[in-house]
Amino acid sequence: MKPLRIILWVLIALSLIVGAWGVYDRLVNGHENAAYGSYVVWGLWVAMYLFLAGTAAGTFFFATLDYLFRVRLFQGTGRLALFATLITLGAGLVHIWFDQGHMERIWKVYTRPNPQSVMAQMVWGYTLFGLLTTVMLVIALRVGRREGGAARARRWLAFLSVLGLPLTLFLSGGVGALLGVEISRPFWHVGLFPVQFPVFSLASGAALMLLIISLFGDAHNPQQAQQLRVLAIATVVLQVVKLYFLWADYSQSLYGGLPQNVAAINAVLFGPYWWAFWILQILLGSLVPILILVLPGVARRPAWAGVAGALVLFGFAVARANIVFPALTVPEIEALQQAFSDPRLQFAYFPSPMEWALSIGILGAAAAAFLLGYTWLRLSVVQQEVA
Amino acid sequence: MTTVLEREDILLRMQEELKRALAKPREQRRWVMVIDLRKCVGCSACTIACIAENKLPPGVVYRPVMEEEIGSFPNVTRRFLPRPCMQCDNPPCVPVCPVSATYKNADGVVVIDYDECIGCRYCITACPYAARTFDFGNTYTQGTPVAEGLIVGRERADDYERIPSFEYGEAWPRERETSPIGNTRKCQFCLHRLNAGMLPACVTTCIGRATYFGDANDPDSLVSELISRSNVMRLKEELGTQPRVYYLL
Repeated sequence: MKPLRIILWVLIALSLIVGAWGVYDRLVNGHENAAYGSYVVWGLWVAMYLFLAGTAAGTFFFATLDYLFRVRLFQGTGRLALFATLITLGAGLVHIWFDQGHMERIWKVYTRPNPQSVMAQMVWGYTLFGLLTTVMLVIALRVGRREGGAARARRWLAFLSVLGLPLTLFLSGGVGALLGVEISRPFWHVGLFPVQFPVFSLASGAALMLLIISLFGDAHNPQQAQQLRVLAIATVVLQVVKLYFLWADYSQSLYGGLPQNVAAINAVLFGPYWWAFWILQILLGSLVPILILVLPGVARRPAWAGVAGALVLFGFAVARANIVFPALTVPEIEALQQAFSDPRLQFAYFPSPMEWALSIGILGAAAAAFLLGYTWLRLSVVQQEVA
Repeated sequence: MTTVLEREDILLRMQEELKRALAKPREQRRWVMVIDLRKCVGCSACTIACIAENKLPPGVVYRPVMEEEIGSFPNVTRRFLPRPCMQCDNPPCVPVCPVSATYKNADGVVVIDYDECIGCRYCITACPYAARTFDFGNTYTQGTPVAEGLIVGRERADDYERIPSFEYGEAWPRERETSPIGNTRKCQFCLHRLNAGMLPACVTTCIGRATYFGDANDPDSLVSELISRSNVMRLKEELGTQPRVYYLL
């Protein structure tokens, strides 16, 4: 086993141990040990759901490069992209499932959905998307294992890709709409959110592919270097677009001067967690990876490309938190904070150990599932050729 | 010789009006609350009455009273603003619920079906008045000593906390992982009291008689009279939520 794999498995084992405690605490004590309250009512798990579900939608696009657009450079990466889509989608949905007050009632979204609710629409959309991705993966795994039928399978994959693309647009845009429809939160009530979020999804999908191909690709394969190069360019461009969106949002809101909006932005830029924005999101999550990826000598090395991908993903996770939390830290009515004293009625939030533990555990389980699937399902080109 | 002016207590008047309203079909009632900010002294008796009536656990509050200091010394005064659920006619919390667990009932009160609510808290984020809170399952006696003997310790005080709430006319005992724990909760104008012919707890408890309640579809009701005055306002009207709670300035 390669040293990298050993390190990954050790990290996964540790995260699963931590996660087991988090799951135990959540199941036994409910939400009692969560740090969110009735004012900052959504916390780490919602931010992680937004991040992971968005990444899943973006990663699916890279599968269609293989199956629908038939881009020669990405030939053979479709399975990897589809599997990564399923894993990230699953991890996102498990996060939001644990966030529910009554996890056991989640089936009610299927039996008595409110079609007007963006959340209900999203649940149905995720279900369809999960099924579609699974079917595509099954078909993709069968291609080449049976004599004949490959052309038909390819046609099916192309057809399902055509169905999947608008679905990913709906889901990634829907995440923006989930927040954007809320008139009570000016920070979220941005008409362009459903337009911005698909771009964010695509950017995080590109970063995930960058990370996966750099970690699991064949370093001696000349095609891999080219793939990394293309993904690096895509990542840099999408990062710049993302930064532009951020600038447009914040500058307009600050210029407009709506108090609730200004307060939320000030909380992001200069609040107690200013470092999360400036250091984690902007510096480590955007500027450093851009720098890595634009330096020709550095970007071509898979290890550095992987680091850049990981940093971009990390930055996106922080960015999701910086969208969810600040809007909730601004009181809807002034003086609300002093009206009733209770630890659950505060306008400040930092995730509790239980929340961190559960999240780390889910990410560890997702990584384990990916590694096992990668080993057993022969997802990469190299493995397919060996088989 | 002094003359005693006989005047009916407004509580008695509202009680009579309530009986009149209850005799009508539900769809023809329009429950409205009016809060006279000039009379509110900020005693928070309504908050406490609400907590006692609905057996609210820590972190769940239906009717906080906000305090605001206006001006600067020597021209300074304080204003108190009780904030129940606004029972909006165009409630932003209703369409977002993924399972239609929250809705406007026939009386026009925004209610929550505790047995259907999945606890996603989307409605809490959607409310512009922060009128919804989440029941995390905490108790006031959590972490307190189990005292035996002379003082009342957790085991005896805890009993009080487990007395069921009778919201929506049903008994809701506080048992782990069962509703209303894990649900969103909110003021519902004490529907269970209304249906039994009683005014909401916050109305009867108000020491300054600053909170009025009744059927706005009854032209002779006190609330109809009050909301037709020029000094009436509603919170965040610009959002188009059409609250059913009015404030007199």
